[in-house]
Amino acid sequence: MSMNEQNEVLLRVENLCQYFKMGRKVNKAVDNISFDIKKGEVFGLVGESGCGKTTTGRSIIKIYDITSGSIYFKGQRICAGTKSYQDAIQAARKELAELQKNGGDPARKAELEAQIEENRRELQRAKFDHQYSDREYARQLTEAVHTEYKAKLEAAKNSPRETAELKKKYKEELRVAKKTRLITKIQMIFQDPIASLNPRMTVREIISEGLVINGIRDQKYIDEKVYEILEMVGLVREHAGRYPHEFSGGQRQRIGIARSVIMKPDLLIADEPISALDVSIQAQVINLMNDLRDKLGLTILFIAHDLSVVKYFSDRIGVMYFGKMVELATSDELFAHPLHPYTKSLLSAIPLPDPRAEKNRTRITYNALAAHDYSTDLPSMREITPGHFVYCNNAEEQQYKKELGL
Amino acid sequence: MMEKILEVKNLKISFRTSGGTVKAVRDISFDLEKGKTVAIVGESGSGKSVTSKAIMGILAGNSIVEGGEILYDGRDLLKISEEEMCKIRGDRISMIFQDPLSSLNPIVKIGNQLTEAMLLKNAGNRKKAKKEFDSVLALLKENCTAAENDSAAVTASVETFEKFNAEAIQMENSYNTALAAADGLQVDMDEFLFLVEKKQKIDPKAKLKEFAAVLKSIKDPFLTRDAESELQAIADKLQQVLSVCPKNTEAGLPDAVTAVLDQLKTCLETVTTRTRPDFFCIGFYKLQKPEADLSKLTVEALNAEAAQYLDEHFMKDFLTMADKGAEHSYRTALEKKNAVMADLQEAYDFFKEGKYDKKTAMEKCKAITEKVEASIDPLEIVKDSTVYTFRTSLEGALQKYFQAVVRNPKEEERYAKQTRRREALIARGRTVDWKVVPKTVYDLDELQAEITTVIQRLMERYKEYIANTGNVDFRVRSTALVEYFKGKASQMVYVVTKKMAREKAIELLEEVGIPEPHIRYYQYPFEFSGGMRQRIVIAIALAADPEILICDEPTTALDVTIQAQILELINRLKEERNLSVIFITHDLGVVANMADEIAVMYAGKIVEYGTAEDVFYDPRHPYTWALLSSMPDLETTEKLDAIPGTPPNMIYPPEGDAFAARNKYALKIDFERQPPQFAVSDTHWAATWLLHPDAPKVEPPKIITDRIARMNKAGGSNA
Repeated sequence: MSMNEQNEVLLRVENLCQYFKMGRKVNKAVDNISFDIKKGEVFGLVGESGCGKTTTGRSIIKIYDITSGSIYFKGQRICAGTKSYQDAIQAARKELAELQKNGGDPARKAELEAQIEENRRELQRAKFDHQYSDREYARQLTEAVHTEYKAKLEAAKNSPRETAELKKKYKEELRVAKKTRLITKIQMIFQDPIASLNPRMTVREIISEGLVINGIRDQKYIDEKVYEILEMVGLVREHAGRYPHEFSGGQRQRIGIARSVIMKPDLLIADEPISALDVSIQAQVINLMNDLRDKLGLTILFIAHDLSVVKYFSDRIGVMYFGKMVELATSDELFAHPLHPYTKSLLSAIPLPDPRAEKNRTRITYNALAAHDYSTDLPSMREITPGHFVYCNNAEEQQYKKELGL
Repeated sequence: MMEKILEVKNLKISFRTSGGTVKAVRDISFDLEKGKTVAIVGESGSGKSVTSKAIMGILAGNSIVEGGEILYDGRDLLKISEEEMCKIRGDRISMIFQDPLSSLNPIVKIGNQLTEAMLLKNAGNRKKAKKEFDSVLALLKENCTAAENDSAAVTASVETFEKFNAEAIQMENSYNTALAAADGLQVDMDEFLFLVEKKQKIDPKAKLKEFAAVLKSIKDPFLTRDAESELQAIADKLQQVLSVCPKNTEAGLPDAVTAVLDQLKTCLETVTTRTRPDFFCIGFYKLQKPEADLSKLTVEALNAEAAQYLDEHFMKDFLTMADKGAEHSYRTALEKKNAVMADLQEAYDFFKEGKYDKKTAMEKCKAITEKVEASIDPLEIVKDSTVYTFRTSLEGALQKYFQAVVRNPKEEERYAKQTRRREALIARGRTVDWKVVPKTVYDLDELQAEITTVIQRLMERYKEYIANTGNVDFRVRSTALVEYFKGKASQMVYVVTKKMAREKAIELLEEVGIPEPHIRYYQYPFEFSGGMRQRIVIAIALAADPEILICDEPTTALDVTIQAQILELINRLKEERNLSVIFITHDLGVVANMADEIAVMYAGKIVEYGTAEDVFYDPRHPYTWALLSSMPDLETTEKLDAIPGTPPNMIYPPEGDAFAARNKYALKIDFERQPPQFAVSDTHWAATWLLHPDAPKVEPPKIITDRIARMNKAGGSNA
C-alpha cells in the first residue's frame, strides 16, 4: 500500500449530531462528533453501552436521518442534517426582529439578511445531498457505461453479430449502473447473528439479496458469487441451500459477514460482531475478519466494548462517552498515554487473565461532573500531540501536555 | 482445613430430546468451602449452567438425574422433596441469573419484588425455629438426665433456661417492634424531606401528624432509655408547629418545622444506632433480680454485667451439665456406631455378592438404614452429610439398579425389533427416512458398584469417627449448642413487618450501590439501565441472607466498566457476608479476579481443576490453553489461536477425551480412552493423557508461554 493511498480519507464525519425525540425531552444520542477514516485502516469505536457508538454506525449507513452535520464518503456528501442551519436562521431572525423593533444599525440588518439567505441555501443543498447523493453516484456510473459502450460499439460497427451482443450487455450493465447506490459500498455486520438473519430465507437468498436488489439477474453469476464468498468466509458450497437455524452461532456470524462482503464494500461497519459469541468462536471470527481485510483491502469501522479485542484489531481508536467523542488516537498511543479521565477509567476496568495483577488492580472511577469544570472555560476537541485528540478545555490541555512532558 | 459447605459428587445429568438423550453433565465432582469462590469456566453447552441449576433444583422438565449427589447441610439436594427444596432455594442458596431483564418481573415494582421473599419466608421460619428449639432442648435434657442421674437438678436447670429464654424473647419482641417503628419513621422522614426538596405536592400537615403519632407509640425501655422524654417532647413540638405549617410544600418548609425535624432526625439516629442489648443474658438477669433498675446503666455496661452475672450464676453449671449431656449422647452414638460396623460389613458383603431380589434387598436396606440412623448423634450441630444422606443415597442406588434390571431387557428388545424392521424395509428396497433410536442400556455392574460404594463410604467415615474418639472437645460442642439455642431464640422473635421489609430493602439497594433508593424502590424494572438492573437482581438474591450465591454469567450482558463494578460488588459482599460463591462464566479474564478455585469444563466434564494461580500460570489441559490463547490481551499482536470446529454432539458423546477432535496436541490414545485425572500438585489436576509419564513432552502454545513469562516478570517486579 503506497503512502498516498494510506492517507486518502475514505469517510469523513463532520459535526455529526443524532438526536431522538423522547416525548418532550430530546435525547442527544450523538452530539457533535467528527472523525476521518482513512482508506485501508481499522477504526475502533469504544465506549460503554448507551454512549452512542452504535448510533454513529447506523447514522453513517443511513439507517437514521441525521439531525445535523455531514458525512462524506469518497468525497461525496451522503448524509447531511439541517438542524444547524435551521438554528442559525432562527437566531438571525430573532435578532432581526429585535432590530426592527428598536430601529438598529442598517448595516447589521443587511448582514443578518445575507446570513439567513446563505443558511437557507445551505439548507437546501443539504436536503438535496441527503436525498439524491445516490442518484448522483448512479448518474456518474451510467455516464461511464455510456462512454465505454459508445467506444466499443463504434469499434464493432462492422460486425452485426458482435453489435447485437454488445447491445445486450450494454443494456444489462446500464440497468445495474442505474440501480447501484453509493450507500451499498458501505456494508454492516450486526451484533446478533440470530436476529439479523431472516429465518425464512435460505443462506443463498440471504447472501445474494444485495446483488438481486442491485439489478443483477444472471442466476449463474449470482450462484458462483455466493459460492466464492461462502468459501472465503470458511463455509462450504452445500451450506447455501440451508436455513440459518441449522447453523451454530459462529457460522451464523460468518453468513452475516458473507452477506456484507459480497457487495464488494469499501467500508465495513462491524457493530459488535463478536459480543454475542462464545470465546472460542470469537477468535475464529476475528481471524476471519483479519483475513478478509488483507484479502479485500477493506476499511473497517469496528464498534465494540471489549477493549482487548479493539486494541488487537484496530489501527486507530475513538473513545465515546455519552454522545461525545472524548479521545481519539492510534491504538498504541491510546493505550500507552491515555489522557482523558474516562479513557483511563475504561482502561483500568479491563479484566486480565492474570490473578496476581487482578488482585492489585485499582479501578479508576470516572464522574463526569466531578472531573471537569466546564462552567466558564468551554471544552472542544484538541490535538495534544500529532494525531492524538482529546476533548478538553484550555486548563486541561495545559495539564495533559504537562503529563506527556511537552 | 476449611469447612466444606457444599459437595458435588459424581453428578450426571442428561436431557431427553427428540433426537436422543443429551448427556449434559458427565460425572463431575467438586467441593465448595465456606467463604470461597469456585469458578466454572467453559463454552456454552459445556454443562456449567446445568450444574448450577441442579444445585438450585430448577432443572428443566425433560432432565434426568442419572446419578451423583449434591450434599448440603446433611441433605442430598437431588433427592429431597420440592417442599424441602423450597425452604433452601432462595433462602440458603441464592442465584443471580445471566439476563437481568428476563429475571425481573416487568409489571411489579422493584420494591415489591425485593420484599416478596422476605415476607414469604417470615412466618414459616418462626414456627420452625420454635419447633427446633424445643426438640433439641428436650434431647439435651434427656441426655443430661441419663448422664447425671440427678434428674431434679437437670430439670430445674433446664426449666430456668426455658423461663429466662421466654422472658428474653418477650423483651426482644417489644424491642424489635419499637425499633421497627423508629426505623420506619426514619425512612418515612427521609422520603418526606426528599419530596419537599424536589418541590413535589404533598400535604405536610398530615405527614407531621402521622410522625407525631408514630413517635408517641415508640415505647421500649431498652430502645428509648434516656431519650424517652426527648422523643415525647419532640412529638409535642410537632403538634405545635402544625399551626405554622403551610398547606402544601411547593414553597419549602418554614424554619420552625425544619428545626424540629432536624432534632427528631438526630434523636432517632442516636436511638437506632445504639448497641443491641444482649437479651439472652439480660433475660436471666431480670429473672433473678426483678427489682434491679436496668434503665440506669448504659447498654454496653448492662450487656457486660448481665453476661458476667449469667456466666457466674448459671452458665458455668449449665455448660458443665451440657458437656456431660453432649458426651453421653456422643458415647451412646459411638457405641451404636461400633455396633453397626459389623452390620455394615455384613450388608456390604451381601450387596457385593449380588445375589438378591428386590424384596430382600429392600428389606436389608431398611434394616441397615434404621440402624445407621439410630447411631447418629442428635446433639451434633454441624451435620455430617455422609451419615445424614445415607438412607437417600442407598435407596436411590437400589432403586436405580432395580429399574435397570427391569428396563434393560425391554430396551434391548425394542432396539432389536426396530433394527429388524428397518433392515427388512431396506431389504425390500424401500427408502427408510428414520433412524433407530440408540439404546440406552445401563451397566448393571456399575450400578451395583454404586450401591457398595455408598456403604463403603459410610464405613470409612465411621472408622474415622471411632479413631478420633480421644480428641473430642465437649466444651466446644456444648458452647455450640448454647449458640444454637440463642440463634433459634432470635429467629423466633424475628418478625418482618412490611415496613421493616421495606427498610431492609432500601438498605440493600444502597448496599449494592443504587443512588436514591427511596425513589428507585417504587419504580418498575424498565426504568433502570442494564447495570442497575443487575444490581437489583443481586439485591434480591441477597435479600434472604443466603450462605451460597450462584452467579450464572452475571456480567455477560454488561459492558466493561459496569462489569468491573458488578464484579467488585460481588467480591465486596462476599467478604462482608462470608458468602460462598459459585461463579459461572465463559470469560477467563473475569475469573482471574474472582475465583479462588477454577474448574474448566468441556462437554460435561471437568477437564482441569486448580486454584486461580494454578490455572492461569501453569495451565496443563490443551482446552485451557485454547481458551487462554483465543482471547487477545493488550500485548497480543500475532494471529490468534482459534479453536477449530464446534463442540461435539452430546447425544453421542465421543469416546476418549471429548476435546481430542479439536485438539492439535491430541495423542492417539485420546481418541480411544478417557484420560484419568492426573495430579499436578495437591490443589491442581487435569484430565489429559499429556500428563502421563510416557506421553511425549508438549509445550503450550507460544502465545501462552509468552504471556505467562510476561505476567511472572510483572508479578516479580510488583512483589
